[in-house]
Amino acid sequence: MWKQPYFVIGFSIIAFFLAGSFIYEWIWGNVPRQIYYIMEGGRAVEGAPISPNWQFPLGSDEFGYDLLGKLMLGAKYTILAALAVGALRMLIAVPLGYILGTYLDKHRKWISSLADSMHYIPLTLFAAFVLTPVLWMPPEGFTNTIWERIGIQVLIMALLTVPIVAILIANEAALLRDKEFILAAKTLGAGRFRIIRKHLYPQMREKIAVLYGQQVMETFIVFAHLGLLKLFLGGTKVSYDPMFGDPPMSISYEWAGLFGSTFRYLQSAPWLPLAPVLFIGLTIFAVSLMMEGYLRSKNPKVKKMQKGKAEEPLVEWNREQLRAGMVRLKEKNQLK
Amino acid sequence: MKLLLKFFIAVAGIILASSLPVLIAGWLKGQWRWNIYFESIGTTLQELWPINEIAFFNYRAQRPMPLFPNVFEYITYSLQILFLALLVAVIVSLGLTIITMLLSEKARERVKMALYFLESVPDLLIIMLAQLAVVLFFKQTGILISKIAAVGDDRIYWLPVLCLAILPTIQLYRLAMLTFQEEERQMYVDLARALGFSKVYIVLVHMFRNAIISVFFQSKKTMWFMLSNLFILELMFNLPGIMLFLRDNMYPAGFLVTVFSFFLPMFFLYSLGEWYFVRRMRGKEAV
Repeated sequence: MWKQPYFVIGFSIIAFFLAGSFIYEWIWGNVPRQIYYIMEGGRAVEGAPISPNWQFPLGSDEFGYDLLGKLMLGAKYTILAALAVGALRMLIAVPLGYILGTYLDKHRKWISSLADSMHYIPLTLFAAFVLTPVLWMPPEGFTNTIWERIGIQVLIMALLTVPIVAILIANEAALLRDKEFILAAKTLGAGRFRIIRKHLYPQMREKIAVLYGQQVMETFIVFAHLGLLKLFLGGTKVSYDPMFGDPPMSISYEWAGLFGSTFRYLQSAPWLPLAPVLFIGLTIFAVSLMMEGYLRSKNPKVKKMQKGKAEEPLVEWNREQLRAGMVRLKEKNQLK
Repeated sequence: MKLLLKFFIAVAGIILASSLPVLIAGWLKGQWRWNIYFESIGTTLQELWPINEIAFFNYRAQRPMPLFPNVFEYITYSLQILFLALLVAVIVSLGLTIITMLLSEKARERVKMALYFLESVPDLLIIMLAQLAVVLFFKQTGILISKIAAVGDDRIYWLPVLCLAILPTIQLYRLAMLTFQEEERQMYVDLARALGFSKVYIVLVHMFRNAIISVFFQSKKTMWFMLSNLFILELMFNLPGIMLFLRDNMYPAGFLVTVFSFFLPMFFLYSLGEWYFVRRMRGKEAV
């Protein structure tokens, strides 16, 4: 796995974001540097938001905070939350899927058509609908802490698509269960639990890993969508002041919030919403690189194909040799 | 009969989901509100009953308006965009697949790899870049290709459809590539080749017919993905569609109306497709 370049590149991108996020906070504290205007020859030439330049690679936001610093500070929230959502979802869905696929096989049909109805509800819509009471600050303020809210959000987002993932795994397990080696194990007296643990799980380990990667990618997308709806990771600070109400704000610097709260500046300061989305895209790309690298390390199909290709010229050459030999044979016959 | 059962189970699933926020709001305060949950389902269903008396607050008109027939305008607009994008995605991806299938093995693997990584582009990025590009083009040349946001009740079509179609095209393209390559290993392809049919003919006539069934059955996830995208698209372009309508009516009845407006046509489409393909497959076995 660690020899696959794809996996290593993907892993280092994510590790860079995570480590960078913690180191940034450790060195510079959890407030990014702030600058109100750029001086040039004793005159202010540009006020906040400052467009990207060498000193501020991604520019600054409307209050003069360095955008790159904000993104780095927020990286840990977004990435860890997405990884946690995926992990929690798999932790619940995999055992559930196995139970459905083995113990409750008779009921699998109707349960799967119930889970199928989820396919008609747009995921973002569903998540927004369910998470609004959790994340939208009520007029009297939040009653729970930010970590509690992040925990609740992660749990709910994990639970949302558990039925679909569980059904996927159940169907896969049911397919495998008719294979000869499972029948043989059954004949030898293996119980259902032993079959799951010793036969089904090892067979499906790669599929589960890929499924996990897909869940993480999907979670990033949903986070970004929720950000557009002003539902930020860890809650949205809403100002209920009728006169000087601030726009809804994210409490941490997580990426969805950075994107969602700056979307209206798309035309005037495009780097503000674009940078967080680019970062999200980069992270998703890193996850897909890791998945590809993992798969390549597990089944060396690609290597075999290359070997097959290497053998091909040999066949060509043989044929030519054969033809040459036959021509010679013909000539010999004609000579006679 | 089986279809009817499936339909009712799906409807039940959606109705059960519609009142979930109540349960979660209670759960936050540390209690299980099963009673209120079921009450909420009951009242929502009762609200829906005299179907032409439902009134929703219309954000654009700034006053409550009866749901029917106003909502049909929203629904038709959203569905038009959705299905236009789907049509574009299906046609483009299948066309590209057929062209790619005629290429060499090495080129195909490269295309597949590129598609795999292209899939990780977030939809938001595509929409934002499209909007920026249109404005930039306008600034440079003074020609407005398309409006980037709908004001009032005017409708814009091709830019949203394009934005919505790009990602599903990539997904379907990759899916179709995988299915076609799977199909290529079948015996009948070898036979057809041995009989001297050209590669184009085999791909277009023989493999296409078989692969399309499998692509259809696996396309549900792409549809699901498109629904989420449509939601975001309507927000970002400010389109007067059903999703924007829902954002202003985030409570169980509004949720139900919105979800059903998608569920019914999509369920119909998929059932029709399933029925058609299953019948054809059976017919083939009989012959």
